[in-house]
Amino acid sequence: MRKWMAGVWGAAFLVLAAPCVWAAPSGKVVVAQGVDPTTLDPHDHEEQPAFNVLLNIYDTLLVRDKDLKITPWLATSYKILNPTTWEFKLRQGVKFTNGEEFDAEAAKFSLERVANPANNLRLTALRPIDRVEVKDKYTIHIITKKPYPVLDTHLCIRGAMVPPKYFKEHDKAFLARNPVGTGPFKFVTWVKDDRIEFEANEQWWRGAPKIKTLIFRPIPEETTRMSALQTGEVDIATNVPPHLVKELKNHPKVTISSAPSVRTIFMPIYTVQCEMSQGSWDCTKPVQSPAANPKVRQAINYAVDIDSIIKNVLEGQGIRITTPLTSKHFGYDPKIKPFPFDPVKAKKLLAEAGYPNGIDLVLHSPNGRYPKDKEVAEAVAGQLTKAGIRTQLKVYEWTTYMNNIAYRHGGAPIWLIGWGNATWDADNTFTNMFRTGELLANYWNPEFNTLLDDARSITDQKKRQEIYSKVTRIFMEDAPAISLYQQIDNYGVSRRLEWTARSDERLEGFSMSVKQ
Amino acid sequence: MSDGSIAIEIGEATETGERRQDLRRILRELVRNKAALLGLAILVLIAAAAVAAPLLAPFDPTLQAVEDRLKPPGWMDPEGRIHPLGTDHLGRDILSRLIFGARISLIIGLSAVTLAGTLGTLIGLAAGYRGGRTDDFLMRVTDTMLAMPFILLALAVIAVLGPSLRNIIFVLGITSWVSYARVVRAEVLTLRTREFVSAAQALGSGGQRIVFRHLLPNVLTPVIVIATLEVARMIILESALSFLGLGVQPPTPTWGGMLADGRAYLSTAWWQATFPGLSIMLTVLGINLLGDWLRDVLDPRLQV
Amino acid sequence: MLRYLFRRFWQSLLVLFGISIIIFIILHLTGDPAVLLMPPDATKEDIENFRKLMGFNDPLFLRWPPWEYLSPPWRFVTDTQYGRFFTGVLRGDFGTSFRHQQPAMRLILERMPATLQLTASAMAIAVSVAVPVGIVSAVRRNSLLDHAGMVLALLGQSMPVYWLGIMFILLFAVRLNLLPAFGAGGWQHLILPAVTLGAFSMARIARLTRSSMLEVLGQEYVRTARAKGVSEIRTVLKHGLKNAAIPVVTVIGLDMGTLLGGAVITETIFAWPGVGRLAVQAISYRDYPLVQAAVFTLALIFVIINFMVDVLYTYLDPRVAYK
Repeated sequence: MRKWMAGVWGAAFLVLAAPCVWAAPSGKVVVAQGVDPTTLDPHDHEEQPAFNVLLNIYDTLLVRDKDLKITPWLATSYKILNPTTWEFKLRQGVKFTNGEEFDAEAAKFSLERVANPANNLRLTALRPIDRVEVKDKYTIHIITKKPYPVLDTHLCIRGAMVPPKYFKEHDKAFLARNPVGTGPFKFVTWVKDDRIEFEANEQWWRGAPKIKTLIFRPIPEETTRMSALQTGEVDIATNVPPHLVKELKNHPKVTISSAPSVRTIFMPIYTVQCEMSQGSWDCTKPVQSPAANPKVRQAINYAVDIDSIIKNVLEGQGIRITTPLTSKHFGYDPKIKPFPFDPVKAKKLLAEAGYPNGIDLVLHSPNGRYPKDKEVAEAVAGQLTKAGIRTQLKVYEWTTYMNNIAYRHGGAPIWLIGWGNATWDADNTFTNMFRTGELLANYWNPEFNTLLDDARSITDQKKRQEIYSKVTRIFMEDAPAISLYQQIDNYGVSRRLEWTARSDERLEGFSMSVKQ
Repeated sequence: MSDGSIAIEIGEATETGERRQDLRRILRELVRNKAALLGLAILVLIAAAAVAAPLLAPFDPTLQAVEDRLKPPGWMDPEGRIHPLGTDHLGRDILSRLIFGARISLIIGLSAVTLAGTLGTLIGLAAGYRGGRTDDFLMRVTDTMLAMPFILLALAVIAVLGPSLRNIIFVLGITSWVSYARVVRAEVLTLRTREFVSAAQALGSGGQRIVFRHLLPNVLTPVIVIATLEVARMIILESALSFLGLGVQPPTPTWGGMLADGRAYLSTAWWQATFPGLSIMLTVLGINLLGDWLRDVLDPRLQV
Repeated sequence: MLRYLFRRFWQSLLVLFGISIIIFIILHLTGDPAVLLMPPDATKEDIENFRKLMGFNDPLFLRWPPWEYLSPPWRFVTDTQYGRFFTGVLRGDFGTSFRHQQPAMRLILERMPATLQLTASAMAIAVSVAVPVGIVSAVRRNSLLDHAGMVLALLGQSMPVYWLGIMFILLFAVRLNLLPAFGAGGWQHLILPAVTLGAFSMARIARLTRSSMLEVLGQEYVRTARAKGVSEIRTVLKHGLKNAAIPVVTVIGLDMGTLLGGAVITETIFAWPGVGRLAVQAISYRDYPLVQAAVFTLALIFVIINFMVDVLYTYLDPRVAYK
């Protein structure tokens, strides 16, 4: 009897202690993001996780290199012929993985597909394209409805090149699950919420990638994602929380790769309250709050100790910003400095504005959308309250937040938002968040609006930079937001992998390799 | 003789099992049962902490001190004050937040149970007494309620109403009345056939009077047993809602919220999540011990 | 008896119908999915076009005035948002998920096996551990085994699911490296999520089995059997189990509903590719078709299980059918 028992225990021990068969062998890389893409149709989404996955299957005309400069990709060169016409020369000898050839017809089809409102695709940033003309087999002219100086910045991310015949033969639902492109990897399978699997495209026009298999797996729960990284079940994990960075940097199997993020976190302050009237938003009434007074807004900025928040709440994983632009965004003016922490001045300004006994405000924040967003909001509310700006914090689940607070102008007077402007051009930040009439804007300043509209319609970059410097100065005087920090993206990376993080959150499989 | 005293006399006759509301006997049983005493002791302690929170808590539970975040239990701050259970991610004292959190947890538990219990009892009374179509309809409503996944319903409702203490109590209350309704209905069905009810009807009492004066006191016993055990479940459900981000809003401390916040720091600052977790466990333990004993004494046939 | 079962079946259908209406109303009260499904820099025209395309501007239940919508005669109720949904369901079509642009029911059905696998395993583990523990505790009342078992059961009922899950991952995956931390896969991947999900039920069923058995063991006919010299085990199993089974079976049926709904948290923590996770996201995004499909399917499964429980009842206690 005893021997038999020993046998059972021995076998059990062997089975349980067996080397983890679920750890990734070389040649295969597993990436864990927090979310699964909703679609693999490159023209039908605006989600970073989907961009990350699809850039490995589809190529765009242009791309940003590791220093974030615009570089030719499927296009070999481009120039602006007139304010509404762009000429692109295309790369020759490129094939889609289903055999179709990449040429001007394919480019025309791809761009017109994504630009056409009748297709009801969710990627709308390329709608200003009116039509594409084929000049010869490898040259196209893109004609926009109005001057659109930021077209090339968008083409670095959007406007993926798709095979025309394949896309014409299948319906949208099929294309959303079966991507075919010119990219470094080929699609193998997609089990929703479980895995997306790719294998190397050895015929890629830049040469075969160094890894054979690339798998994306969504793990929403942060602790689980970090655990999976430590057990070796995933090789790259996104969004490592600040307090684990130190611990994981010195982990035997894992290390951290950081990059200053494209995303900045800030708190816009309402100066007008938009109201729905006859089917559209009317944004002319001033907001009913002390925040309508610019002195109060400045006081708010002086009352927040952002350096302390970065140091303590974010454990140093943040970079101070002056406006919601990072230093790498075009339009950034390094000469303009941020608000210092000065609670005394804050109180003085409040008194000057007519509020010697302080004021009451509400701060709205999402929960878990950005690393430590709720904690940062709590800390800000605490600091404001200490300075006499009694702040009540309201925290929301993300989609409720977007629906009620963001899109319905329900975030008066202060709300937290993160904005990852991957065009790296000030227009997409200032206009979308602050120009009166835009979906997310709750600010009204006629001079500000005019300047932004001008910058959007001229193509002389030097002139545009001057305009944006002026815009920044107005921003500092009128204080339509508390500009908090630029995120630092921390990725947990297995030590057996060779890969560095990028500022634009792109997960490029072709730059990964496994150390031998 | 009024119909009242007939009811009382007949009501005293019992079937199997003891149902005599003899207070002295109950108290004697309580003292004898050590487990129940332990449960009661735990609950009294927690209730006392909740009531006397402002006196007991060494710090203001919402006072942030971001430079002193994630300090271990027993740490002394620069002003010489000790944080017996450490500080959380914003430097707030954990013990104080636990004590104030007891308030919220108990408020949520008791209010939600009151709401659900009242709703469920009324529905059970109506279904059991009226019978027929009313009964069928109400039982189908009950089935519908049961078949709906709680989390999804709570998510949807809170998405509409927004997370707040009031709304959470509302959601918990309207999703958990089913157990009460079923039990009350079963009780009423049994009682309905007994003499004291037909006697009351013969004497001309209206339906409402019968229900409220005669039936209700008798169904209260199982309701109390269930209610006791349900308080525990409400506390745990609130923590689940906090996990999903739908719980009571900061900076109000709730045990569930503290658990949810602290889970990210388990490997670096285990105290932030462990103490609220222990509090939840102890409270639920106490409730279950007491509730089990209550059931054994008052109505052993109750299997919930 | 057949009439009873048929009545229960018909009532189950009504239940499903009722649920779909409730969910529909709640979802539509929460605001506009059009803005959520479009990117932040979409223009107002884009959003309005999307809204028109999806039919969000149409009334929910009734076209007004009804007499203007009589061709075909039922149009005033069918050409509404709920009307379209209902007629679709009759054809088996739950519409297209807004967010994923795929047929909603297909998405649910693809995820359903994973959830069913998890839930069934959780319940199987729960029952196979809880029932023996409960029986042993009852038979050896007040012994050390009894107390130990009941204390563990109390603990199991006192811990929130997500807490348990995270502790398991940290202990068994990270610290001890015994089991995988997440995802679906071989049987090793199933253990932690199933135990996490089933812990509460396990505890409840153990305590319930114990008290049911205790009650049965104390009754006349058992004492008689014992006095007649019939062996203890046979007594227990033959008389005890069948009667103790009734409340236990009830709880199993009820708990399946809880498990199906509660799988949401377990699935999120373990990144298990099931319906619960999908449904939570769908609610967040007001993805009506997907939510409806998810709730409908989960409710259907629950209803089927309870129906089977009812059938089981009529075997265990035939009196039930004649109520």
